[in-house]
Amino acid sequence: MGQEFVLLVSASIFCVGTVGFIIRKNPLIMFMSIELMLNSVNFLLVAYSSFLNSLDGQIFALFIITVAAAEVVVGLAIILTIFRTRHEMDVDHIDVLKG
Amino acid sequence: MEIATLFDFALDTVIFVVGVTAVLASLGVILCSSPIYSALYLIGHMICLALLFLLYNAEFLAVVQVIVYAGAVMILFLFIIALLGGKKEVQENSFHRSMAFAFVFILLGELYLSATVGPTQQIRGEIPAELFGTAKAIGLELFSKHIVAFELASGLLLVAAVGVICLAKFSFVPLRRRAR
Amino acid sequence: MFASSWLILLFPLLGFIGLSWYGNRISRNLVGLVGCGTIGASFFMTLVTLSNLLFLPPEERVGHVQTLYQWVSAGSFKLDVAILVDPLSVFMFLIVTGVGFVIHVYSVGYMHDDPEYSRFFAYLNLFIFSMLVLVAAADFFFLIVGWALVGLASYLLIGFWREKTSAVLAARKAFVMNVIGDVGMVIAALVIFETFGTLNFADVFASAPGMFRPNDDSMLLITLLLLVGAFAKSAQLPLHTWLPDAMEGPTPVSALIHAATMVTAGVYLVARCHVLYELAPYTMYLIAGVGIITAIFAGSMAMFQYDIKRVIAYSTMSQLGYMFLAMGIGVYSLGMFHLMTHAFFKALLFMAAGSVIHSLDGEQDLRKMGGLQSVMPLTHATFLIGALALAGIPLTSGYFSKEAIILSSYHADMGNIVFWAIAVLTAGMTAFYISRVYLFTFFGRLRSPAAHPHESPMIMIIPLLVLAVLALLGGVLGPWVDSFLAPVFGHVAYHPHDNALESIALVVGIGGIATAGLLYMVSKERLDLFKEALAPLYVRPTKAIGAFLEQKAEREGIDFTVDQVGLQIKEVSHGISLWQSGKVRSYALNMIVGVVTILLFVVFM
Repeated sequence: MGQEFVLLVSASIFCVGTVGFIIRKNPLIMFMSIELMLNSVNFLLVAYSSFLNSLDGQIFALFIITVAAAEVVVGLAIILTIFRTRHEMDVDHIDVLKG
Repeated sequence: MEIATLFDFALDTVIFVVGVTAVLASLGVILCSSPIYSALYLIGHMICLALLFLLYNAEFLAVVQVIVYAGAVMILFLFIIALLGGKKEVQENSFHRSMAFAFVFILLGELYLSATVGPTQQIRGEIPAELFGTAKAIGLELFSKHIVAFELASGLLLVAAVGVICLAKFSFVPLRRRAR
Repeated sequence: MFASSWLILLFPLLGFIGLSWYGNRISRNLVGLVGCGTIGASFFMTLVTLSNLLFLPPEERVGHVQTLYQWVSAGSFKLDVAILVDPLSVFMFLIVTGVGFVIHVYSVGYMHDDPEYSRFFAYLNLFIFSMLVLVAAADFFFLIVGWALVGLASYLLIGFWREKTSAVLAARKAFVMNVIGDVGMVIAALVIFETFGTLNFADVFASAPGMFRPNDDSMLLITLLLLVGAFAKSAQLPLHTWLPDAMEGPTPVSALIHAATMVTAGVYLVARCHVLYELAPYTMYLIAGVGIITAIFAGSMAMFQYDIKRVIAYSTMSQLGYMFLAMGIGVYSLGMFHLMTHAFFKALLFMAAGSVIHSLDGEQDLRKMGGLQSVMPLTHATFLIGALALAGIPLTSGYFSKEAIILSSYHADMGNIVFWAIAVLTAGMTAFYISRVYLFTFFGRLRSPAAHPHESPMIMIIPLLVLAVLALLGGVLGPWVDSFLAPVFGHVAYHPHDNALESIALVVGIGGIATAGLLYMVSKERLDLFKEALAPLYVRPTKAIGAFLEQKAEREGIDFTVDQVGLQIKEVSHGISLWQSGKVRSYALNMIVGVVTILLFVVFM
């Protein structure tokens, strides 16, 4: 199947994630779109580490998983804090920093 | 046909199917109106990716993906969704949507084009084929070549844990006050 | 050979650094000694350099560049820290350090009771250093460095009395207008660099005649931009408004900066870049025109001022106009000679006025002075000599230099009768206003009975005497100046002798003095009657024109434009600020747009 397929799949998932981030208003779904983007990159890295016969890609992907986990934890805590006090799940209404 | 090529063909087919499933699952993530459904689609997507990892000789990473990512992180997501409530949201702002679609489509095209622009460099590693992608090989590399990043990542996790505890503590206080 | 010339710049710099660090801790006498000593040493080194220069035959006197070290060497662009030792720069050295030294000695007496004594001398030394950098620069870069430093020193010195609000505002005004000039200079330097590839005087002036026809666009552009700087520094129209306000500074500052040195920097600039100006005759006409218009405008303003220092300030503006007229006509060495004599008698006038102000405890209003000739005989005598020199009475130095310019305004190649007529008229006005000041100050009876005027201490009088001698006898230096500066300008200025024009100018000058005397003798009531009779003739129409212009030109024209600039910027920025919506999703969209654009370049390049 080779490299073009991997590239296409990875790019597609990345673009789907990007679109999801821009379109959706629910912060949790936006977060999940970010996870999609990270996953796509992971896939690309792992596939290329296989093509190029070097473990660096897999190790990089491992670190990405680690950092993504940390990020999800902190991000969800932030979302929890914000939306608990405001009781609404719409990112567009959090625009205090405008102007 | 020889067994070898049949095996390759089967492998290619399986990779193709799983890859397409992953893309469809990701579409499902963003298109569902309820967050619970999106989370479930994301879990499916991650399992597809884990399968792909397996197919590309990364066993350790596949297992890590399932345990850490699909297992811990997504369960955390589901808990939060359950806690905060996933209302079905209404879509408006069509100009914004169409702009997003347009630009991301262009992005897709550009990514594809940019990949086919030039040849990739061949970095030949020295891992023997049977060890490739196993925990042993990854461990050897992780604790020798990438030890600094490893230590920094562990520091990062510590910071994340402490930060979350602090944040979570803050969010409890107003609840208690309101209860009185 | 001229390595010792660096000391000319070094001494004032050391004086500035030493006095600003240690000035508070050493005694006043030592501060004065150091402050004057550095400039005196500079003057001595200038004389040494002058004698070294005079040893060489005239053709070899130009183009000596003393390099300290090579600073920038990037490809074909070279910039060295260097000074230029040639007749023009040594001439300016002489004036700056010589008159500067005299004024420093004077300040020892004038600022004696000021609590910020050491700071004053530190700033004065800084100023002398900056001015020397300006005139010693061998390339446009250090010229601009000196230009800006001089503006800084001027700001520090005008606003020296920090508690006086008017002084601080005046200093700010002077600095802002100087910066306008600086902008013009910097843009000129950029254009010069782009055209010639170098900022070095020698290289630019050597290659310019070969590269451009006269009145070529780039030459006009460069010379006009340099002119912006020159006019701002020398207070010519329209960038003149800072000079009268600059009188808020102490009198030695006015004498040094606004009579002898800083304001002459513009004239020096035109003289130094005369090669470029000769390639742009249109600009030369502009210089002459602006110069003569400023001269008559300032002369007319000086006739009606009541503040003694303001009269002398407007007089400076007017005489600078004469110098620019000379530069514009092409008789550069005559302009430089007038620069020198003007430095003598104008500094003398300022310092004598300062002596009067000092003895009257700070009174500067002419209407409160009078009758000082018996009380302050030496000040009176020196002021009189300065006034005669300014008015251009025969045999004073001012006569020789001003007459030469007035004659050349008609007889030189680029002169014409209009220039001459205005120049003569301004000379008449000059005679009038300086006689008026003289009469108000020294004749009649003292109009402020509470004051106790006394002759100033010797330390202030001796500089006055020195300058008076120079103002009286400096005329003999004329031919020497011409021949000395000839290698720089390429030719000796032609001194026309036209008896008819000379006598006309003389008559006008005497007429001015006589008018002043007459008006002074006439009593106040008759004067008021006279004024009332003539009022409908000129007062009402002038007021009507003024009101009309104020409405149309000023409010609707200039104010409207300036306000619109500010308003439009506000509107546009308000519109742009709406883009920052605070919504994360639109920010993400912006990011994607950016990434897409960048990738577009990456993919398709």
